[in-house]
Amino acid sequence: MAVAKPESGPREVVEEYPDIKVRITVNGVEREVMVKPYERLIDVLRYKLGLLSVKEGCGRGECGTCVVIMDGHLVPSCMVLAIRANGREVVTLEGLAPEGMIHAVQKAFLDTLGVQCGFCFPGVILATKWLLDRNPDPSDEEIKDALGGQLCRCGSYLRFVEAVKLAAKYIKEGRTYFDVEDVKKELYLRG
Amino acid sequence: MINILRFNVYIPSSLEDALEFLKREGVEAAPMAGGTDLLVLMRDGVKRPRKVLDLWPLRRELAFVKRGDGWVRIGALTTIEELNASGLARDRRYLGFMDAYKQFGAPYLRAIATVGGNIGTAHPLSDVVILLLALDAEVRLVSVDGERWVPLSKLFRGKRETVLTPTELITEVRFKETPKGSSTVLLKFDRRWGHSMGYVIVGAYMHLDGGRIADVRLAFDSMGEPYPGRAFKTEDFLKGKEFRSEVISEACSNVLPREMRRIDDYRASAEYRLDLSKVLMKRALLKIKSRIEGGEAYGGS
Ligand SMILES: Cc1cc2nc3c(=O)[nH]c(=O)nc-3n(C[C@H](O)[C@H](O)[C@H](O)COP(=O)(O)OP(=O)(O)OC[C@H]3O[C@@H](n4cnc5c(N)ncnc54)[C@H](O)[C@@H]3O)c2cc1C
Ligand code: FES
Ligand code: FES
Repeated sequence: MAVAKPESGPREVVEEYPDIKVRITVNGVEREVMVKPYERLIDVLRYKLGLLSVKEGCGRGECGTCVVIMDGHLVPSCMVLAIRANGREVVTLEGLAPEGMIHAVQKAFLDTLGVQCGFCFPGVILATKWLLDRNPDPSDEEIKDALGGQLCRCGSYLRFVEAVKLAAKYIKEGRTYFDVEDVKKELYLRG
Repeated sequence: MINILRFNVYIPSSLEDALEFLKREGVEAAPMAGGTDLLVLMRDGVKRPRKVLDLWPLRRELAFVKRGDGWVRIGALTTIEELNASGLARDRRYLGFMDAYKQFGAPYLRAIATVGGNIGTAHPLSDVVILLLALDAEVRLVSVDGERWVPLSKLFRGKRETVLTPTELITEVRFKETPKGSSTVLLKFDRRWGHSMGYVIVGAYMHLDGGRIADVRLAFDSMGEPYPGRAFKTEDFLKGKEFRSEVISEACSNVLPREMRRIDDYRASAEYRLDLSKVLMKRALLKIKSRIEGGEAYGGS
């Protein structure tokens, strides 16, 4: 309950915020978390569940680095209250491929050298995955629309269309997952 | 963790419950639909409600697009994505909704931003509102004390100000089905396609009857007030006239500037905005004509 501090204006009210229990299926696993009413989905995913692919760029719906797939919709996790995810299914980058594998979308962006610093990429990859789930064979226009909200400060945009088309091709060929070790060898990647 | 904002949330069990809550605490509370506008304002400290009324549970009753008895009705909690999926935009007469969808923010915003929220923001650059104004829509406002229908053109009072009382919710918006031989368009002039707010937005409706303008409605992001409005005088000038280039040019270049007042700010000068308004109005009318004549495939831009 709200308790007013003496001699304070109407805004200086000391408010209490309850802990609310929410159940969210994150990357296929049901998780139970206690959240505050004002906490956002990004706060829960990144700070409570340790899913560090979910990044806060702007915190105001403008950049797309925080997007996740919730019940099949691409949503900005910085603008969805955690309580709204109760009972829903959320997919982050960590949940795209089984252990030891990467998803065709990730492989395609590596192949096309579409990634520079990589900060924006969790969002770009999820937006691409969301697009290809709904539309396995998108046109250039459709790709530009789907990725139009993913800001990339390195300006990797020019490779986006090419990479998405390659990912679509892999998936159509049934090559949805790639073994990480094979990819490392093929692309001379270290680490 | 960055908790810039702190607030409590009331989760209503039904519309009645939500309205009761507003009756009790409406003055200190803010209803939240998608939150794409509200959360940003709260983050910036522009709005500081003690409590947020979560409207999302009301989607069971208030997310719909229905047609019947000569009306098109859209529930306040319908998302931009759902509005597009409803099929309304595939009707040649309502292609304007396709324009609105394509130019609206990013896909991840369309999934949560709602039609009711677009109206509730009372912002000059609310795309869906501008199209709905051109469709002469009216808004249903409901409180525990009853309901009223307000024409959208009478809903706004100032920037981010509406005639809503703190106890009222927007539950739906409706407009009359338009006749055959009519269509709509929404054009937005922007520095960057889709993602940011436009400099100038025009929404237009026109009914052509054998080359004659039987009816026309034009809405802009601003006519002088800091909210969207109709160009009534320009509409009157055009009504009943032949659709000819001299008529259209006269309306855009000479009639519109007489009733439109544009502002200067850091984003653009008044002169530039007025010039864009004239050009966009002309393009809008030409585009509607080609839509009516079937010269454009569904959804083409
Ligand atoms: C990055 C970004 C891009 C954007 N791009 C566009 C764009 O291209 N075009 C555009 O038009 N807008 C755009 N917007 C603005 C915003 O997303 C839209 O206005 C959207 O429709 C708001 O809907 P919402 O459900 O999120 O509203 P909310 O933020 O939930 O609410 C907005 C206001 O309306 C009130 N409200 C909401 N629902 C009701 C109701 N049912 N009854 C009474 N009051 C209510 C709230 O209290 C609040 O004051 C953008 C916003 C962002 C952050
Ligand atoms: S952090 Fe969510 S959109 Fe930028
Ligand atoms: S690759 Fe650096 S921000 Fe996109």
